[in-house]
Amino acid sequence: MNPDELKELWHDQLAGRRLTLDAGIVLRQIEQSKRDFEATMFWRDVREVGAALLAAAFFLWFGIKDGIWPLLVAAALTAGVGVFMVVDRYLQRRRRPPYSDPLLACAEESLAQIDHQIWLLKNVFWWCLLPLGLGCVLFWGQSSWTLLKAGLWRLKDLEFPVGCVLLYWGVYHLNQYAVKKAFEPRRQETEALLQNLKSNAE
Amino acid sequence: MNVPEAASEGRQALFSAWLSEHVGLVFKVARAFAPADADRRDLIQDILLQLWCSLPRFEGRAKVSTWIYRVAFNTALAWRRKETKHRAPQIPLIEVEELPGAEEDTARRLDQEQIVAHLYSAIHQLPKVDAALVLLYLDDLSYREMAEVLGISENHVGVKLNRARKALAELMKEVTYEP
Repeated sequence: MNPDELKELWHDQLAGRRLTLDAGIVLRQIEQSKRDFEATMFWRDVREVGAALLAAAFFLWFGIKDGIWPLLVAAALTAGVGVFMVVDRYLQRRRRPPYSDPLLACAEESLAQIDHQIWLLKNVFWWCLLPLGLGCVLFWGQSSWTLLKAGLWRLKDLEFPVGCVLLYWGVYHLNQYAVKKAFEPRRQETEALLQNLKSNAE
Repeated sequence: MNVPEAASEGRQALFSAWLSEHVGLVFKVARAFAPADADRRDLIQDILLQLWCSLPRFEGRAKVSTWIYRVAFNTALAWRRKETKHRAPQIPLIEVEELPGAEEDTARRLDQEQIVAHLYSAIHQLPKVDAALVLLYLDDLSYREMAEVLGISENHVGVKLNRARKALAELMKEVTYEP
């Protein structure tokens, strides 16, 4: 088939048919999708940031109540993780690629966002697990020291740090799995798209 | 009526007017990037959502159709097929309605439909950027408009379109059509 025949067919594909849509239904559906998406994002943030802030409040309460300074340091570290998450999400939300931009600009912005997500997950140990872990170590160290002085320390008290290590190991590997399974393929796909758009551009 | 309400009503009116004029464009992009019915419904919903959210950014510098193409392609390129279990139940937002009298010459129509289906399948096999270019080409956009949608130079559009057309011709070479 020659290009003109193809074009003619293309233009005629909807001949004898009418495409209809009810703008009211569309708008209701859109509003529903927007609400669902925003609710999902909100509760994800509440879950993740809330956990860090709850841990900070826990350390702060014990630190002030019993006058134990290592717990105040632990509270500051865990609160720092929560603040980091809030600031990062705010900045990333502002950087969301505008879909009305040309494809090249939108793909470049998408790639920057994916790279940022990969960086966050790959470095989850440094910005999340280490500060939270230090908080736990300080908390456990302080409790153990008090128990040791009173002669009440038992081998069973090792359950807490062992549990923490296992939990952190799981969280770390879950993040690395997400990078490998979800973000790296998206990165490769977006890079290929950009390469295609830019090839012979100069 | 206060200003936000009036602005919101204006936005809704504009959205409805644009949709009724360019619904075919959205349908074609969705069909090219998501061949299966359920996927297409999902992609159409995403495109319409992005159009609605992007509307306040429209500055009138580009033609409406060019702007809608940008939003539709950017959405289609970022769109990922959802697993059935993760997909919310959807009602089709765009209905295809047969017009009275369209039954005439059914054999010819069926023949045409088969070729169009083959054409969509060929477009779907192209790299995504080439698929977008071919859609713009088939819809008779100028090189300048294509460059505006893709964000590359007109010369570059020419080179890329040539290649994409050759790739499409290769995929379509077994298809014959007697108008």
